[in-house]
Amino acid sequence: MTVTFPQKGLPWLLLLPQLLVTAIFFLWPAEQALEQAFYQEDAFGLSREFVGLENFVYLFTDPLYYQSMLTTLVFSFSVAIMGMSVALFLAVMADRVIRGKLTYQTLLIWPYAVAPALAGVLWWILFDPSMGPIALWLGSAGVDWNHYLDGNQAMILVVIASTWKQISYNFLFFLAGLQAVPRSLIEAASIDGASPVKRFWTIVFPLLSPTTFFLLVVNLVYAFFETFGVIDATTKGGPGQSTNTLVYKVFEDGFIGLDLGGSAAQSVVLMAIVGVLTVIQFRFIERKVQYS
Amino acid sequence: MSDVVLKNIGKTYLNGFCAIPSMDLTIEEGEFIVLVGPSGCGKSTLLRMVAGLESITQGDLLIKGNKVNEKEPADRDIAMVFQNYALYPHMSVYGNMSYGLKNRGTSKAVIAEKVNAVATMLGLEELLERKPRELSGGQRQRVAMGRAMVRDPKVFLFDEPLSNLDAKLRVQMRMEIRQLQRKLGTTTLYVTHDQVEAMTLADRLVVLNKGVAEQIGTPMDLYNKPATPFVAAFIGSPSMNLFDANLTEKGVSLSESLYLPLPHAHRGSIVWGIRPEHLAIVDEQDADFALEILAVESLGAETLVHGVLKDGSVQGKAMVVRLAGPHNPELNSLLWLSAPATHWHIFDAITQQRL
Repeated sequence: MTVTFPQKGLPWLLLLPQLLVTAIFFLWPAEQALEQAFYQEDAFGLSREFVGLENFVYLFTDPLYYQSMLTTLVFSFSVAIMGMSVALFLAVMADRVIRGKLTYQTLLIWPYAVAPALAGVLWWILFDPSMGPIALWLGSAGVDWNHYLDGNQAMILVVIASTWKQISYNFLFFLAGLQAVPRSLIEAASIDGASPVKRFWTIVFPLLSPTTFFLLVVNLVYAFFETFGVIDATTKGGPGQSTNTLVYKVFEDGFIGLDLGGSAAQSVVLMAIVGVLTVIQFRFIERKVQYS
Repeated sequence: MSDVVLKNIGKTYLNGFCAIPSMDLTIEEGEFIVLVGPSGCGKSTLLRMVAGLESITQGDLLIKGNKVNEKEPADRDIAMVFQNYALYPHMSVYGNMSYGLKNRGTSKAVIAEKVNAVATMLGLEELLERKPRELSGGQRQRVAMGRAMVRDPKVFLFDEPLSNLDAKLRVQMRMEIRQLQRKLGTTTLYVTHDQVEAMTLADRLVVLNKGVAEQIGTPMDLYNKPATPFVAAFIGSPSMNLFDANLTEKGVSLSESLYLPLPHAHRGSIVWGIRPEHLAIVDEQDADFALEILAVESLGAETLVHGVLKDGSVQGKAMVVRLAGPHNPELNSLLWLSAPATHWHIFDAITQQRL
């Protein structure tokens, strides 16, 4: 539908708030980062020197950066896969519930309303080695839990804390997807002699594949870029480099290490990654497979 | 030996709604039974109970002499064709047809042989690699039937399989279903709301109303001797002309001034009916009554005349006359009609049973 405005000014006026927000909070900082990536700045921000591509050369020869990339990949795929499997399981269960369906569904959606940093703090307390109930319970079960010392345990903690929040979102989409699968298909499959488990894997799951793929992209983007709060509230990237993801490293190198140029170069790399993921997502949404 | 027996079968939902109070039906081997009735009459529920998709809350269901009330749909040896076909959209035609056999552990070679044989019978050989969305409505219908036939079940169940097709295709598929069923000799239970479909397909018809079988019989039985006014109105198109009337010493009284002479022992309130095709145009002196013409539908092969009885009463009683060939009577003029007593249908107004 096309609306034609009588005056040329009005559409721009209506667009102005959104354009301002985009310009001030995205375009301007992005431009700043792009510019800063080519300079070397002193720790106090008093002077700077043009160094060309030196920041990028340094970045891509730094083994720590590759380690962080690997950490990010492990972290993101763990979050995406775990978040989606748990959500799918819950959605399948919720879909079978007849009584109190709405209550279950509402309860399962609640975690999504919790801010990332709060979710982080919550899990941080639960897993605190000296007083966290889960850590104490693990201790009594023979698992020596200390995510301050054990890098793998720290990774498990941030994965759990980040996944927990995302489950609600995934759950909503999976539930909607499940409810869109025609009942008669399931009935036809049961007459065709397929067991409930087989029905799920041969009929329902393939029909959910558009939803699954959409969620995979969304979850990867979330784990890549929106988990700063969780990591900052739980492990602060440590111990060592074990939970230092690309996004957290930008913050750490820039604001703690005060390597502003290097941090800006990392931001530029991240921008490129976001760009690629966005293209994939849009492409996919346009071509979204529809079964009729 | 009877193939499928419904013994005092009933269905009451958890919320107390009784969809089917009690139903008895014995289906002989190879018989084509059609369940017909208006929407909400319980016909689909009954079919789904036989399929095992709805629980049976009362009575026994026997297939080949075995009680199957508690058996899973897969263990009843039935196959069902759904209204929307329920083809698996992500599988090819071959995948759809072989799915049931695969689940039963049939070897690949046997599956290929069976699927190909059925595909040839239904003219689907060229389409085996296609996905359901690449097929036309009629082709999807055939695939759904093929999927049912491949397993060579004891009973076919059809749930309004033709209602998604256009009129012309529906007539063609109707004939194909009938021919295939005769050829295979498989006992069939078929649900429809379309009385033409029911009449043309059935060996025997079950007319359902509010979960109760109003009448069970051959199409011609139901047409010639409907047991209740409901069946009389449901079977035949256009519907039978039915009037509330009284049987008195003078005969059938359609109104205070209009009597049709008939000696009959019964006295009291009745429902009197005559089919539109049994009314004949006659001269005024031979006529039983006159019809004031309100509308004429010319269909070429036949003409339907809609009008009201001219019986002196304030409120006219609507009646339809079906005449062979083209006619062009003038609107608002009178049509003199005779209603031969041999074609009358008389029902008790209170018990709703044929007299």
